[in-house]
Amino acid sequence: MSDPSEFGGRTACAPLTLPRRRLLQVGGLGMLGITLPRWLEGSPQRVSSSAPARSVIFLYQFGGPSHHDTFDMKPGAPEGIRSIWGTIPTSAPDIEVCEHLPEMAKVMDKVTLVRTVHHTMKNHNSAAYYALTGHAPPLDDIRLRDSLDLFPAYGSVVDRLAPSQSGMPTFVAYPYTIRDGAVTPGQHASFLGKGHDPLLITEDPNSPNFQLPELSLPGNLSLERLQNRRELQKLVNGQIAAQQAPVAGTGLDAMYDKTLAMLQSPRLRQAFDLSEEPAALRDRYGRTTYGQGCLLARRLVEAEVKFVNVYFSSNIGGQSTTEGGWDTHGFNNTYMYPILRARHLPITEHTLPVLLDDLDQRGLLDTTLVVWMGEFGRTPRLNGQTSRDHWPQCYTVLLAGGGVKRGYVHGRSDKNGAYPDRDGVPVEDLAATIFSLLGLDPETEVRDRLNRPLPIAAGRPVASLIA
Amino acid sequence: MEFGGHLLPIPAVPFSGVDSGYRGAATRPPWTPANLWKGASWKTFGLRMLWLATVAAISSRAVAGEAPSPPTFGIDVMAALSKAGCNQGVCHGNKYGKGGFKLSLRGDDPQADFETLTRELSGRRANRIDAERSLLLLKPSMQIPHEGGRRFTVEAPEYRILREWIAEGMPADPPTVPSVRQVTVQPEEAFLLEPISTAALTVTAHFSDGTVRDVTRQATYELSSQIAQVDSQGVVQRREFGELTIMARFVDRQAAARIAFVPARPDFSWNGPMPVNFIDEQVFEKLRTLRINPAPRCDDRTFVRRATLDLVGLLPTAEEARRFVTDGRPDKRERLIDELLERPEFADWWALKWGDLLRNEEKTLDRKGVHNFHAWIRQCIAQGVPLDRFARELIAARGSTYLVPAANYWRAMREPLRRAESTAQVFLGVRLQCAKCHNHPFDRWTQSDYYGWSNLFARVSYRILENRRRDQNDSHEFDGEQVVYMARKGEVLDPRSGAPAPARFLEDGAVPLAEEVDRLHALATWLTAPDNRLFVQTQANRIWYHLLGRGIVNPIDDFRATNPPSHPKLLAALGRELVEHRFDLRHLIRTIMNSHTYQASAGMGTVLEEQGGTFSHATVQRLAAEPLLDALSQVSGAPLHFAGFPPGMRAGELPGVRAERERDSKLTGADQFLRLFGKPPRLQACECERTSDPTLSQAFQLVSGELINRLLTESDNRLGRMIAGGKSDTEIVEELYWTALARPPNESELAGTMRYLATPGDRRGKLEDVLWGLLNAQEFLYRR
Repeated sequence: MSDPSEFGGRTACAPLTLPRRRLLQVGGLGMLGITLPRWLEGSPQRVSSSAPARSVIFLYQFGGPSHHDTFDMKPGAPEGIRSIWGTIPTSAPDIEVCEHLPEMAKVMDKVTLVRTVHHTMKNHNSAAYYALTGHAPPLDDIRLRDSLDLFPAYGSVVDRLAPSQSGMPTFVAYPYTIRDGAVTPGQHASFLGKGHDPLLITEDPNSPNFQLPELSLPGNLSLERLQNRRELQKLVNGQIAAQQAPVAGTGLDAMYDKTLAMLQSPRLRQAFDLSEEPAALRDRYGRTTYGQGCLLARRLVEAEVKFVNVYFSSNIGGQSTTEGGWDTHGFNNTYMYPILRARHLPITEHTLPVLLDDLDQRGLLDTTLVVWMGEFGRTPRLNGQTSRDHWPQCYTVLLAGGGVKRGYVHGRSDKNGAYPDRDGVPVEDLAATIFSLLGLDPETEVRDRLNRPLPIAAGRPVASLIA
Repeated sequence: MEFGGHLLPIPAVPFSGVDSGYRGAATRPPWTPANLWKGASWKTFGLRMLWLATVAAISSRAVAGEAPSPPTFGIDVMAALSKAGCNQGVCHGNKYGKGGFKLSLRGDDPQADFETLTRELSGRRANRIDAERSLLLLKPSMQIPHEGGRRFTVEAPEYRILREWIAEGMPADPPTVPSVRQVTVQPEEAFLLEPISTAALTVTAHFSDGTVRDVTRQATYELSSQIAQVDSQGVVQRREFGELTIMARFVDRQAAARIAFVPARPDFSWNGPMPVNFIDEQVFEKLRTLRINPAPRCDDRTFVRRATLDLVGLLPTAEEARRFVTDGRPDKRERLIDELLERPEFADWWALKWGDLLRNEEKTLDRKGVHNFHAWIRQCIAQGVPLDRFARELIAARGSTYLVPAANYWRAMREPLRRAESTAQVFLGVRLQCAKCHNHPFDRWTQSDYYGWSNLFARVSYRILENRRRDQNDSHEFDGEQVVYMARKGEVLDPRSGAPAPARFLEDGAVPLAEEVDRLHALATWLTAPDNRLFVQTQANRIWYHLLGRGIVNPIDDFRATNPPSHPKLLAALGRELVEHRFDLRHLIRTIMNSHTYQASAGMGTVLEEQGGTFSHATVQRLAAEPLLDALSQVSGAPLHFAGFPPGMRAGELPGVRAERERDSKLTGADQFLRLFGKPPRLQACECERTSDPTLSQAFQLVSGELINRLLTESDNRLGRMIAGGKSDTEIVEELYWTALARPPNESELAGTMRYLATPGDRRGKLEDVLWGLLNAQEFLYRR
């Protein structure tokens, strides 16, 4: 599997990479004497109490999966368009999927397929920004620059409008900062401010040493020492407080308390501790970065994290059976089918159904929206390498749980899977649906750096896929 | 009513001719001139009720506030739809409309709304034969269910206007119907002393035919703050004490009123110091009116730290701090300011601020370009190039970006709209972006203004002599020499007409430039003219902002009638000062820093003070990314390392922002620190790109981060050197305090620290802990 450090450039908004650290002992942390504060000061809750979804697991399939070879098979289409693979029936009477997704087939009765998602961006970074935020990029640019006039990630909007009240972070993202030549926009809070950035983890959840780097201290720094330091800091701070106004409202001080609280919070530590999971279950999710990432997502949702972004890969990939995303053009004398067969389908097959079953068995699926999507689909016509190129005009997104229908297909693509035939769903509407399921009115306005009021989603919820 | 004895006098201006037609005494305070005068006193501390917009502006031709009958579409119907809130963004003004009925946002497009109402809605929604059966009336008056609730009653004027217009057959306006030229609001500024808790606004529309109408009842109102509420009749009701701006809007014009609700503070007595200069006079005048005393002058150690940070972006060394504090000369602050202004680091620090706005970053300007551009900016500041000349050279620059560094201003912005928006923002303090897609909702700029202004920048072109970009796919990356030149032709098209938008400056009544004129040379001259108020005041306000922590117009790049300055006369005076002293940056800085206002201490503020905008006390700010990192390095005595630069380089000296490419060497801990603490990537010409939002990641970095751990533990850092030099614990602690905080430890700090150092354990380690405590102290992290 790919090693996160291999592509290790960090983004402007990523927390610092910290060196290997010594895990703190959980015992004895109470001596810091701080109770766990709420993660964020409350912005007013705008969540409707009847919202079906409490959390979202956003499984981002960077590179763009081929809808023709997964969830929108067109066996009746001419050769050169239809997949070389056949279809199999599934647990949902009217849904068929690719013959190489038999495990997936067993859970299709739990999902909604949206087969008519569409937009116009043909470059990965612009299209991915679209998918990660629900807002059209200013231009279709292969190296779209990540600047503060772009929209925030879904999770950052949730953190801004309806932060977790549980003491847990609202928005967690891992295990990479994704990039295609340049950092892909849409992975952080952008104009909402760094305070709403995700807790970003670039450690490999499949590594035996996986832990939240922030929860460990440098080797030379014991907890006792940290406590001494805090006392020395208070000694100085006390003088100022006695003389003059404390630094009110500036917020960094509150962050100190939160930081120290996090260092001692068993709940947070446990949420990230995959070793608490039975080995058999870990095996079922697959001992891959992505598989263990999906398992981690379930643990985080259990711990009341509200939005989890899991990135399938750090890059668009498509030319390797061992690393990278779904961008299977057939470049450099590769071929899409063997790569999908060896890498993408098996990983998908061994994680997504396991995650859905696991959530369902724990009673979490009804309150957890799982979104499986990439930035676009792939061309109906196979190219000279029997592979497929970019196709944003019509592609399939899989939704499950969190208040969407089970065993349902929304929208129909045309006979070649090229354009929506019925019920097209712009990305904006998908975004509005996600927010709406979380109880956030898609028309809620946030302000950009120029103080312009902008609605969090530029579309309308797709009512007919909501259960 | 509540007009007791504390009412303030107003200038003797005749309150003429306005018949406030809708005002019932029950809903609107009887705030007639007679009432205003009752109990008025000219004396108390010179308090004044300021009616800056003279009421005389309302001519005797002003007519009563009822819409005429029959109503006009463009004025009366549109105003009624706005007043009822129908065309708000969350209602039918939404991109998709609501319930199949879409209006233009805030009535931005009356023509489209006319088409919608007259064509699309034939029959049920607008019933010409039986007007009262129209959904357009039944729904908003909730005679049948309406998702948006009741917007007006059947007795309301909105109902009458819509009904009459429908009954008339929904006619288009004859060409003789006048348009709204201007809207004014009275008072424009008012200080209302407790127990007064309400203020009645009067909004007047001035029409193109010279007529004037009181439209208080038809205008819509928006508040800048929740400290008050406003009713549909323009009566502002206090919720809390404080100051706010109320924007009144009628059809497509708006005006602003600034109102302060001042607590009585019966035992208030003014004890401010003598004003040092005009700045204090202006600031104190407002403070007296608001019954706030300015904070006392800060002490010497606070001043030396504040002044050094503000002027050179560094902490004073222990020696500098000691020398200043023990200096007995009465003019030592003045002297310190003068000394700091001449230090080379002054140019570094102020060049960094300009580098942010001028987008000095490597991906587009390349490494050599960034270096040259930075060197040029820095040199301009070091040599005291007047700000107007600095701006002219940027705007008029052309030629090789290697040989003419100012031409990088254009190299950084590859297309006309970007150039237009950035130039307006940086040099005129105008955020024009809104006017790209619709007339600016809160300003006078129209879409035509936007495209006309943008067309000034259409002909900037590039001859790319070389491009060694590493990423062939990246159209933003340039590595190599380029020549900026003006093409002979080239126009920005107005997307609405598809025709070239006549190039013109951003001002009322601007005329299109003649074809033969060099647009940017003309712009450079127009822009930097001493009578270009927006240019002059934007530059003055920016300098003020960097020293006081908040603009007089705030945010500093958002000058508009609906965002008025907190101290209009002060801003005008600062602008004059700048012009009279040849746009000399140092002179204005010196003037500001010698004022009591700058030298006031930071204090616990009252409500009004906490809201900002009174300048009664100093603003406490977290150090910006670069000074913070440099201070950490300075105090710990361990050098920093930035990717691509020799060790020991200061963060404040960095010329640009490095291009981050996938295969480049990794950013160092110091590079990452700067990003984490808000150093801008320099992709926007906005001060707002530099962020100071506190984040958990920042706290983690300061508590236990890799960088801070290295600075503390490096063997030959300040601690290591002092230990090797045989210094005692007391000496070391004293030195650390002076270095970090510009002061000695007090008794309890010294005692507490010495107790800790006396505990068993490694001496060096414990000294590291002491140093950590200082580097994490609020007093260290903040400029106060």
